Amino acid sequence: MAQALKSAAKYPPKTVRVKIKRYSPETGREWWQVYEVETYRGMTVLDALLQVKEKRDHTIVMRYSCRMGVCGSCGMVINGTPRLACQTQVSMVASEENPEITVEPLKNFPVVRDLLTDFTSFFEKHRKVKPYLIRRDTQEQENPKTEYRMTPEELLEIYPYSLCISCGLCVSACPVSASDEGFLGPQALAQLWRYTADVRDEAWRERLEIADDENGALKCHFAASCSAVCPKAVDPGGAIQMLRSALLKYKLGLWKKRKISEPVPPLEPTGEKVPLPPEAQTLPGVDLEAMEREPVVIDASKLLD
Amino acid sequence: MAGRGERRFLKNMPGWRASFNPWILKLPNNPERLAFVLHRVTGILLILILFLHITVTTTPATRGWEFWVEEIRKAQGITPVTVYFFIFAGIAIFHGLNGIRLLLVEFLGCCVGKPEKPKPPYISATLKAPQRTLLYIVFALWIILWMIAGYIIFT
Repeated sequence: MAQALKSAAKYPPKTVRVKIKRYSPETGREWWQVYEVETYRGMTVLDALLQVKEKRDHTIVMRYSCRMGVCGSCGMVINGTPRLACQTQVSMVASEENPEITVEPLKNFPVVRDLLTDFTSFFEKHRKVKPYLIRRDTQEQENPKTEYRMTPEELLEIYPYSLCISCGLCVSACPVSASDEGFLGPQALAQLWRYTADVRDEAWRERLEIADDENGALKCHFAASCSAVCPKAVDPGGAIQMLRSALLKYKLGLWKKRKISEPVPPLEPTGEKVPLPPEAQTLPGVDLEAMEREPVVIDASKLLD
Repeated sequence: MAGRGERRFLKNMPGWRASFNPWILKLPNNPERLAFVLHRVTGILLILILFLHITVTTTPATRGWEFWVEEIRKAQGITPVTVYFFIFAGIAIFHGLNGIRLLLVEFLGCCVGKPEKPKPPYISATLKAPQRTLLYIVFALWIILWMIAGYIIFT
């Protein structure tokens, strides 16, 4: 990201050669195709690909959506590194000396066509780790009337892992996923730990048994490539090591979840007023006390007119 | 080759090459990947050396102790045997040291990054955690111990 910020400030080369790895599922043929693209300051690789698609060759197939690093759709291998195309500035990966950008589909995913990869297995593995809160009291879970207590410290324990956008870059970088299709992969295992460590969840034993499977956490060998490419700093590598450590202790009978949070009713209104800070000044003509006595009612139907 | 009208997904997995080539992907800020590859390579070489070691150490039984003692006496300075010992020392020292690091990190969760609120420049906590220092210590110790082993072997 620091590199992205620096690159945003500088101009990319006037034109770049975008070299795209293409694949035709009908013929089984793979080939590289090169396109010249005129750039502008702030242009991302996704912009360059879209320019190629709009002006040069509309047969290029790829997946993208939000264009701002939130949806996780545009994961690709750009100049040999798994990245999000929408978060990669052209000036980050191309220079006047080497104005070539190679774009390949994510590794370790089946390629449907060109840059489009199939995430079916990825999401099946994600589903396998039960990525949702599970409570013993199913009635309470299905028809919740209260909330679960969670302190800010307890939230921080799982917060970075909950930022995962399922872009698949971690799986693409993982050397174990590269040779073993059955391996759950860094994304699913990090999510497994995210729910295991969540104080609101009660299915930690069930999840640890999933992690103890032959395709589970023990297949990870800590190359940490998943953490190195994660665009959201989710740190799947660290999560898997914590999971493995907990799993070992659990199997030795030394680990159990420290705390399961109890449902708590919503806070009752106390009627206590939060005082305005002394430096706060109301706008001229605004009488706060009068507004409290007679709350302002806005008629929505009039707003529509 | 798929038939006409038939569509087939391309299996895009580097396979075992990903375990032996640290440069199959360009991964910035990831020396752990190099350690992973070296650990795999040295592990396989240690298995091969184990068989070689069994063959060599059965020499006294097949050719007599005198022959063995004479061969060991000849292994002074730079000879094929001492070079082999030097390479073996490098392999074993790295695999052992890195193995200790992996035991600490993987099984005890030691030195792994604690969860934190991601903030710019968005580097995963584990890549900034003490495990990275531990890795550099392993590399440094490996070189130092290998040099000491070389000094002992060749003198």
